[in-house]
Amino acid sequence: MKLKNVLNENVVKIDLESNTKDDIIKELLAILKDNNLVDDVDLAYKDVMSRETKMSTGIQHGVAIPHAKTKAVNQLTACIGLKKEGVDFNALDGEKSNIFIMTLSPSDHIGPHVQFLAEVSRIIKTEEARNSILASESPAELLSVFGI
Amino acid sequence: MAEEMMVLMLQLGIILIATKFVGYVFAHYLKQPKVLGELCAGMVIGPYLLGSIAIGSLGPLFPLPLNSTVPVSPELYGISTLGSIFLLFDSGLETDLPTFIKFSGKASVVGLGGVIISFLFGAGATVLLLPNVNSLMDPAALFLGTVCTATSIGITARILGETKKIATPEGVTIMAAAVLDDVISIVLLSVVVGISSVQIAGSSIHWGVIVAVAFKAIGFWLACTVIGVILAPKFTKGMKVFKSLPLISEVAFGIAMLLAGFSEMAGLAMIIGAYIAGLALSQTDVAHSISERMKSVSEFFVPVFFAVMGMMVNFSALRSVLGFALLFSLIAFAGKLIGCGAPALLVGFNLKGAYRIGCGMLPRGEVTLIVAGIGLASGAISHDLFGVAVMTMLVASVTAPPMLVGAFKGGSGYKKKLNLEDNSDTITISLDFPSKRAAKFISDTVLEGFIAEGFFVSSIESSHTVYQIRKESTIIMLDIMRIEDNQASVKLTCQKDDEAFVRLMLLDSIADFQAFASTLTSMQDPEMMSAQLLMSMFNED
Repeated sequence: MKLKNVLNENVVKIDLESNTKDDIIKELLAILKDNNLVDDVDLAYKDVMSRETKMSTGIQHGVAIPHAKTKAVNQLTACIGLKKEGVDFNALDGEKSNIFIMTLSPSDHIGPHVQFLAEVSRIIKTEEARNSILASESPAELLSVFGI
Repeated sequence: MAEEMMVLMLQLGIILIATKFVGYVFAHYLKQPKVLGELCAGMVIGPYLLGSIAIGSLGPLFPLPLNSTVPVSPELYGISTLGSIFLLFDSGLETDLPTFIKFSGKASVVGLGGVIISFLFGAGATVLLLPNVNSLMDPAALFLGTVCTATSIGITARILGETKKIATPEGVTIMAAAVLDDVISIVLLSVVVGISSVQIAGSSIHWGVIVAVAFKAIGFWLACTVIGVILAPKFTKGMKVFKSLPLISEVAFGIAMLLAGFSEMAGLAMIIGAYIAGLALSQTDVAHSISERMKSVSEFFVPVFFAVMGMMVNFSALRSVLGFALLFSLIAFAGKLIGCGAPALLVGFNLKGAYRIGCGMLPRGEVTLIVAGIGLASGAISHDLFGVAVMTMLVASVTAPPMLVGAFKGGSGYKKKLNLEDNSDTITISLDFPSKRAAKFISDTVLEGFIAEGFFVSSIESSHTVYQIRKESTIIMLDIMRIEDNQASVKLTCQKDDEAFVRLMLLDSIADFQAFASTLTSMQDPEMMSAQLLMSMFNED
């Protein structure tokens, strides 16, 4: 799975404005919408939230990976957002989340979305990588942590 | 035409019923491989025993065809050939390719040793025991020598498959050596046919032509194996766009049949092509699924193949040469056991392993009959010597299966410890559940999740429930194990590189399961539901 096929500077926002989980998800979806990567934002929002109600995707160490399989996209799409001061994302470890990686993949396709998330998770597993991401001043600097 | 087809249907019906019942008796009561029962069923119902009895206006059910070396009709022989293709394709699919490659060097030594020593034993015995044969270059000596070289990979594969020994070092060596044996035997056959035909015609031998035939056969085998192994993963990946596992399986079998045909065109036996096709696909993620799908169909065709092999035995032709036939069979038997067992000792096997390999190389079948049939048709051997060849096949094929089953009891026959996988790079993720039922339930959700991600899941027979989850080179094992106090655990073992992926998949599956569990709690009161069910039972119409 090549991350550079999915990630580029246009889908990275290093200063998210929202302060709630709900708004963060909407802001991330707006990034995808601005890049014409999602057809139906409302449907995508509904599917992401449905996954969140099953179990929060706020995992550990400030990382959240909201994701869903949805008919709102035709191919695997992803975006990354940072909120340096952190937002309560109902994370499993109770900490605030500050790195958000959203992934949407077509529901009727056998898609590589878990492989994508696994690839990303492998990179941000180390504290050093997470700190470099949070210290990024530009999308290009952030992507360099992923080797892009 | 309609009458021939009618007879064919009756023959197939009888064969299936007889082989299934006799096979069952052999497997369950005599504790012998089913294949032996199928062979015996063929002998009994075949054209030389019960099959020759006329049934009213229909005549004999298995009449002997005129002018044919094969004692069954071409239609029935065709169906049995299809059975052999199914069998060898499946054997190829079940072969562990990395182990096959690892052991191919050892297998070459075993295969070559088997061919050379068996040939010398067979041809030598013919010269010593038959007064009218004076030289090793006599067509009769050449043919009977070649008859001794071939190994029935079919019988061996079936036994190793039934006893789950096909992936052991001995099993893989036997399979690889048996394939090489057949390739070498068929090359040898082309050489022998070349020499015999010129000797019978009284002219000189054209070595150039014989060498060309040999190269063609070896070249085809090598080229197909290498190209097949390279192309198979690309083929299965490309076929996945159709999202139909049955389609992949059936097209793969179509390719096996094409390769079988090409193999025959190149001067090799058809079964070799089918085996190569299976071997090439054995390392793809769909191998298990293709094999499972093939098995249900091959259960109908493979017994026909073994029954037809049994039908080849002409008991009356054997009477005149019974003494020679028995002695020759024993010498051929010893030739194989020593010829394959001794070289195995030189390439890392202990005495037990060498004996297992010797036993595994004993069965003779299709290629033996092909060699003998060609010898008979070309006039190099007479009908009685054809009977000797059949007897040799029979003695080896009847005695080898129980010997092989017995030989494989006990520990490893390989001197070194076989370390197929380096376990240092794998990790196990374990989840405990209050009951086995709960563990099974969550495992099903996990497996469904993997299937939705394009993985292929197959169950593996073991003392507990084990699933292999596979997509291209990613292999994950899922075990459901009972632990103390009726609790059960689900263990997922994968490569370290795939750990994050497996954890995320588990996370999503558990989230799915949690959502399902919360819908259950919102279900109406189960006691009320039960009461309604009971009350409805006694409602008056």
